Amino acid sequence: MSPIMLRDLPLTDPGQPEFASASSFLRWLASKQWQTIVLGSIWGSLWLGALALMPGVIGRVIEAAKIGDQHTILISTAVIIALGIFQSIAGILRHRMAVTNWVVASSRIQQLITRKAVDLGGQLRRDIATGEVVAVASGDVEKIGWSLEVLGRLVGAIFAFLLVAVILLQASTLLGCIALIGIPLLGLVVGPLLRPLEKRESAQRKRLGRAAELATDTVAGLRVLRGIGGEDLFIERFQAASQEVRSAAVDVAKLRSLLEAMQVALPGLFVVTVVWVGAHLAQNGTITVGQLVAFYGYSAFLLMPLRIFMEAAEAGTKAYVSAGRVIRVLSLVRDDQSAPRDAHAPDVTMARLSDPISGLTIEPGILTAVVCAEQSTADEISLRLAGIDATGLDVLLGDIALGQIPRDELRDVILVQDKDPALLSGTLRQLLEVPGSGRITIAEAIEVASAEDVLDSLVDTSSGGGDPMDAMITERGRSLSGGQRQRLALARSLLADAPILVLDEPTSAVDAHTEARIAGNLVDFRAGMTTVVMTSSPLVLDRADIVVLVIDGKVAATGRHRELLHGNNDYRAVVTREEVTSS
Amino acid sequence: MMPPEDAVAASTLTGTALPIAQEATIRRYVRSLLKRHRRMFTAVVGFHSVASISGLVGPFVLGALVESLATGSVGMGIDMAAGIFVVALVIQTVFTRATRLRASILGEEVLADLREDFLKRAVSLPTGVVERAGTGDLVSRATVDIDKLNHAVRDAVPQITISLVTAMFVAVAMVVSAPILALTWLLAVPPILFSSRWYFRRAPQAYRAESATYAAVTSSVAETVDSGRTIELYQLEQTRIAETDRRIHRWVQWERYTLWLRCSWFPAIEAGYLLPLAGVLCFGGILVIHGTISLGELTTGLLLTQMLTEPVDEMLMWYDEIQVGQASLARLVGVQEVQDPETDSDLEPLDDRLVVDDVRFGYRAGKDVLHGIDLDVAPGERLALVGPSGAGKSTLGRLMAGIYAPRTGSIELGGAELARMPAENVRSQVALVNQEHHVFVGTMRDNMLLAKRDASDAEILSALDSVDASPWVETLPEALDTEVGSGGFSLSPGQSQQLALARLILANPHTLVLDEATSLLDPRAARHLERSLNAVLEGRTVIAIAHRLHTAYDADRIAVVEHGLISELGSHDELVAADGAYAALWRSWRDAD
Repeated sequence: MSPIMLRDLPLTDPGQPEFASASSFLRWLASKQWQTIVLGSIWGSLWLGALALMPGVIGRVIEAAKIGDQHTILISTAVIIALGIFQSIAGILRHRMAVTNWVVASSRIQQLITRKAVDLGGQLRRDIATGEVVAVASGDVEKIGWSLEVLGRLVGAIFAFLLVAVILLQASTLLGCIALIGIPLLGLVVGPLLRPLEKRESAQRKRLGRAAELATDTVAGLRVLRGIGGEDLFIERFQAASQEVRSAAVDVAKLRSLLEAMQVALPGLFVVTVVWVGAHLAQNGTITVGQLVAFYGYSAFLLMPLRIFMEAAEAGTKAYVSAGRVIRVLSLVRDDQSAPRDAHAPDVTMARLSDPISGLTIEPGILTAVVCAEQSTADEISLRLAGIDATGLDVLLGDIALGQIPRDELRDVILVQDKDPALLSGTLRQLLEVPGSGRITIAEAIEVASAEDVLDSLVDTSSGGGDPMDAMITERGRSLSGGQRQRLALARSLLADAPILVLDEPTSAVDAHTEARIAGNLVDFRAGMTTVVMTSSPLVLDRADIVVLVIDGKVAATGRHRELLHGNNDYRAVVTREEVTSS
Repeated sequence: MMPPEDAVAASTLTGTALPIAQEATIRRYVRSLLKRHRRMFTAVVGFHSVASISGLVGPFVLGALVESLATGSVGMGIDMAAGIFVVALVIQTVFTRATRLRASILGEEVLADLREDFLKRAVSLPTGVVERAGTGDLVSRATVDIDKLNHAVRDAVPQITISLVTAMFVAVAMVVSAPILALTWLLAVPPILFSSRWYFRRAPQAYRAESATYAAVTSSVAETVDSGRTIELYQLEQTRIAETDRRIHRWVQWERYTLWLRCSWFPAIEAGYLLPLAGVLCFGGILVIHGTISLGELTTGLLLTQMLTEPVDEMLMWYDEIQVGQASLARLVGVQEVQDPETDSDLEPLDDRLVVDDVRFGYRAGKDVLHGIDLDVAPGERLALVGPSGAGKSTLGRLMAGIYAPRTGSIELGGAELARMPAENVRSQVALVNQEHHVFVGTMRDNMLLAKRDASDAEILSALDSVDASPWVETLPEALDTEVGSGGFSLSPGQSQQLALARLILANPHTLVLDEATSLLDPRAARHLERSLNAVLEGRTVIAIAHRLHTAYDADRIAVVEHGLISELGSHDELVAADGAYAALWRSWRDAD
């Protein structure tokens, strides 16, 4: 198996993760890219090893200068240059491996989360808050990547630390022991000092988050604010939050500056100790003056592995916590998975669709309008008819329960446009690219949905030389008005060309003129196919082949719009929106 | 290696609608910031100078020690040397603490100034500018740019300042102690200078593109999660997977490019550190043999050479953060450059009559949306604007609320031209509520108080009651103290619209423009709300842009807007009798009548 490099990304298959525990997930992740981790460790050791050898060479130059040995000076300079070039090359190669390890791990997890998210569909938002998943995708992924990035350096740091310790031990047992004890001791002293800092930092970040939220909130609602007033109130509020951030940050700085000062003092003391002991050894002739200078260099160099040890400890801890959050998302399973889906859908041109809970029956080949006294009922019924949630499994198509039909097959047959269909960001062309029969052109769908004027308004923002199809639709279609969004969503549903199409309030935000036109278009366009529209608009109801009234979640009446309007008081009340209490 | 694509295209995912400050403006702004905090800045530099000078004691002490050990002279006793070393270390520690603390306090003050200056200007932007620019650009300035400046001001600026001061002192020390050896430092200049120029010409854009393309990966995941239902219903699974993979590919291309940049740059920088070191060793060693300099001086020179590496490295590493910070600063300061329209605060309307006279208007030059609108709205009249989407109803509404000025023609309120009145004056007379239903972060009470700062709870509750909000307001966990908005108790779109309308009642202007202000409510609830609203608004002028015909039916007069013109105007009965487009629509709506 060849190592995974950056050019191989994205992975064709991100694999089947282990999610028994956070550490098993991290181990699985590392095992998937062990080659680059090993290479990174080798280059890391060579890189830091070369750096570790430099003080010794410098000491030899000092010694040679002292005794007037010009030859050794020239040779040693050449060795320094060689070591310098070698560490530079090894350093670059290590860096390449480190970045590769980071990026490969990050993109693998992003791919895993995406695949899990599409598998779970609407259920994911119910199980875990969107914000939490987003936090995993943006924060935790990076921390796990970081822990793999640091591995190569960690191995190199251990190697270099041991190398220097051996060199020192050979020269003087005392100095060697000072290094072997001193460096871990420094790590143990400085490490815990960082913990209270983290607490204060997270308190400060929280405040900063709050201030950022207020600023965002204020400018996001600026149109409202400018229209009605209250700017002063908001400025005062923001200033208060902003000053809180400042004082919290100063709190952090008090502690952090102390730590930074300690990071000068403690390693400084270590260096002074080495120099002091070394100078005595030099004085009594145990070591040379050149070695003294070298020892100064070694003690300064050892701070580098020390920093890497501390960074690795932090990265490891954070990655462990992050891995826990990642597996929480990755280990979710669909809750409508249980029943075996091994039946085939019956001929949909003949089969009627019936919902046992509401008693609703949809006849094939006609346009049925469903009027619900409560909007929430309409939303529930329409999602049930999709048969992909746990609640819709016992809806019958012909005599087959939807829960027995394989999901893909089911979705080829029934398309439900829910009340709040999301418009995914991208160009309009991408938005309208949905799996379908391919029988319907984009122009036709746009015309039926009366969305031509949306195209006109998109021309203004298009980057593709005025082609509205290349215009960018921002996330959730926020740049469009409610009516425009609904009509684009409708066009998309029509393009899918499903034999059974269920639309939940598809035109509630569309003006009456346009709604009347859409209703007429829809009847002609879907002629001969099964269409269900959840609506209470007379403009649509009047065009439906049959109208069903649902009250308290149950079917209460069925008939043509005009019949019901004259013959059914409840219906009349719901549809004409006259106040029921007055009658 | 070439960049994978145009860096600017990759990093500008949202367009810029507001100005970006010119360099001169930024410089002026930075100077004014420095002036505001001059004393603190001087203190930081002063304290750090003391810290760096004490840091220089080490090389000199070790040099002296080496000299005395090598020559066997009693120049400096070992314990004495260690003592001086420790004292210097203590001073360095104390002043490092002082420097870092002062630098942080200074940085935080500057950041607070920056974000507060920005927000103050943002909330006073002319309404037309806000409306046209949309809020996306402003939001990204308030979040992304402030965040980037946080990094720059908190880390990059102090690091670079401190490193610069350190490097200067090290250089001075070198020139003082071993001037001849200082010449070898010149060897570092060509590799560092040329490679860095090459690098920094490419790096900032590349890193911006890298982080923007990475953000695109994250937002693709976020959108996939958020739109899970739609993806499931429309069988978009494979499309979404492909989209995330495509974005990962795009991001990784930038990662590869920046990796290549670093891999090309680092060796040159390291050559820049290596050459002076080798130069000092070789040249200095020979000079010692020839007796030009002492062994102690060589040792000091050697250590100073190694000491210079760190500050230079820090400066190079933080330099691009400064560039990023500068770009963000330009965007934050940019809002200060928006010109306020010329207004006349003395302009006072004589009465509440709203007269629209031959108004033509378009968002883009040469493409009018309104083609000559005439309307005369009497005080207390209820006028409904109906018509197909895109006909210009909302645009007309915004003009009548004074948000835009007509291109030609005029809109006058009681004889005073709306467009020339300051926004603060206009809104006490005319208020607009549209489909945008922003609930501010804060309590329910906060959300109401912005319309009237001194409103009592009773007033607030009665305003909420008149928009039918009482039933759900009463069930809120902490009544008016309930936190709402992002992160708080979540209100439905319909409830948010009710909140917006209740605010309007509290603000109490004599003229209201309602642009589909109830469209997000359940149609039945909307009808009921409008009726209760009508009762409260009795006697006020209401211009309602309606997509539901019952709103039109309830109005005194109806204007049908088609293709930027008023095609029919009159009462419901008149229009039905006239048997035009409105009548046809009405019949299909309410054919039972």
